[in-house]
Amino acid sequence: MYLEHLELAHFRNYDSLALDFSPQTNVLIGENAQGKTNLLEAVYVLSLARSHRTNDDKSLIQWGHDFAKLSGVIQRRVGRLPLEIVLSHKGKRAKINHLEQKRLSQYVGQFNVILFAPEDLGLVKGSPAGRRRFIDMEFGQINHQYLYNITQYRSILRQRNLYLRSLQRHQAKDLVYLEVLSDQLSGFGAEIIWARKNFLQQMSEYANAQQQQITQQREQLIFNYQTVLPTAEIQSSEQLYQYLKEQYQKQQKRELQQGTTALGPHRDDVSFIVNDKNVQTFGSQGQQRTVALSLKLAEIEMMKAQTGETPVLLLDDVLSELDDLRQTHLLQTIHNRVQTFLTTTSLDGVARDIIGQPTTFTVSSGKVIH
Amino acid sequence: MQYPEAIAKLIESYMKLPGIGSKTATRLAFFTIDMDEEDVKEFAESLLAAKRDLHYCSICGNITDEDPCEICRDANRDQSKILVVEQPKDIMALEKMNDYQGLYHVLHGVLSPMDGKGPEDLNIAPLIKRLQKSEVNEVIIATNASPEGESTAMYLARLIKPAGIKVTRLAHGLSVGSDIEYADEMTLQRAVEGRQEM
Ligand SMILES: Nc1ncnc2c1ncn2[C@@H]1O[C@H](COP(=O)(O)OP(=O)(O)OP(=O)(O)O)[C@@H](O)[C@H]1O
Ligand SMILES: [Mg+2]
Ligand SMILES: [Zn+2]
Repeated sequence: MYLEHLELAHFRNYDSLALDFSPQTNVLIGENAQGKTNLLEAVYVLSLARSHRTNDDKSLIQWGHDFAKLSGVIQRRVGRLPLEIVLSHKGKRAKINHLEQKRLSQYVGQFNVILFAPEDLGLVKGSPAGRRRFIDMEFGQINHQYLYNITQYRSILRQRNLYLRSLQRHQAKDLVYLEVLSDQLSGFGAEIIWARKNFLQQMSEYANAQQQQITQQREQLIFNYQTVLPTAEIQSSEQLYQYLKEQYQKQQKRELQQGTTALGPHRDDVSFIVNDKNVQTFGSQGQQRTVALSLKLAEIEMMKAQTGETPVLLLDDVLSELDDLRQTHLLQTIHNRVQTFLTTTSLDGVARDIIGQPTTFTVSSGKVIH
Repeated sequence: MQYPEAIAKLIESYMKLPGIGSKTATRLAFFTIDMDEEDVKEFAESLLAAKRDLHYCSICGNITDEDPCEICRDANRDQSKILVVEQPKDIMALEKMNDYQGLYHVLHGVLSPMDGKGPEDLNIAPLIKRLQKSEVNEVIIATNASPEGESTAMYLARLIKPAGIKVTRLAHGLSVGSDIEYADEMTLQRAVEGRQEM
């Protein structure tokens, strides 16, 4: 799939903008702080109805205005599809084909993007929360049910933590309600863990294939999913649900003392094992970067396999961060296959022989010249 | 320029209503000034009358001008079923479909620690008392399909079932997350008919 047309009104430093894009490589060139990342962010928001760099939707609205509007037309194998997001101080509204969607989880998934920014190079080394967000964004795009379960889980978790805190402070005393919340949390938690387990297994294979290609077969990459899932005896999400319920019962005393939920998928993590060693602790910086790149390329393959469409790739300032070998591998993999938006301050040092003749746009203080 | 005090006050009052910001409030205030005096009088009187004459039914928690409410007083209704809803307006929606003949109970909210609502803050204890001295053999829980609506339903089921009373939940032909208030009559009817034992 690809993004054919984009219009922005009052989004970040764009007052108003209308652009047509190439189905192949689109290069956004400009000095610092001109709006290159803002433009990629707009594409990202059109896809996922949220930003990759802030949780505060209001900061996306141009200063001094009270709404931002993003609309785009995407091309898929089955035809064109208009999408629209309006952000205002009251919240956000999303339309598919001019029809307003009641739930954002229904909107997400029509238009798939994968973003690769310098921060992603730190995915391997960074915090577990970063890796969980990565998993949720990736799987959520492919699987509505997963996204729904995650949102439900989060809101029950928040309620449960607040209730545990008031029990801890003796402001509440009803343990039946706590059990109800534990039950609900176990239900969604089991579905999430089960889905993550299966997804990660699949993705691990795609990522390993990429890793081997980049390293000329020298490195083998395996994912290691760390969760509350006890080993082999659990064969289904139903069994996992029962197991989680028991665990919450066992942990009740501790949870009441600490006033917070002790276990569940909100504590999950995944580690990356290269040639039998955890790259997070033992890998060189170069190896960690290779893993990050393999992950991103695996995302493309995985989305393609799951949805039948290649997602759109957003590369924010990453080319300059990759050495020649990795840059070449990345560009070869996407060339002529994946619509790509690439930001850079200059085209020097970019392997132009591979991209061929990209469509370039010059970005300068919230204006874009083709 | 500043608005004359009377207008400023009116705008302020409109802004106290849910979902109304300063822009809408200003528009409404100026509209009110242009209205016929008669209409304005009627409007003001209905506001006062609503506040003066309406209270909550001491049995079921519904809004009523007489206590007990019309439904609780009606001996022809099926006294063996109680349908539990979040808000009085849910009763309106269910009564419109003209199919359910039993009694109601209004919780006035759902369990939500985030909004400071624990079990003691809802109209739950009176429901349990009501069940102890009645011939009710089925409680139908019709809280919304939000996570909080679900917790509340599960919580009530745990309290009520040990007393040997059947507890059922509306079949959510209502799509997940949708509110009773907004469901159409056909959907509601199907939801009540297809209710499932908890
Ligand atoms: N809500 C907003 N309204 C108006 N302008 C904004 C808003 N948010 C950010 N900006 C402006 O956008 C600019 C940053 O744009 P952006 O992050 O896209 O830069 P960039 O071109 O990617 O630069 P770099 O090369 O440094 O990454 C800043 O000048 C900032 O002041
Ligand atoms: Mg940038
Ligand atoms: Zn009543």
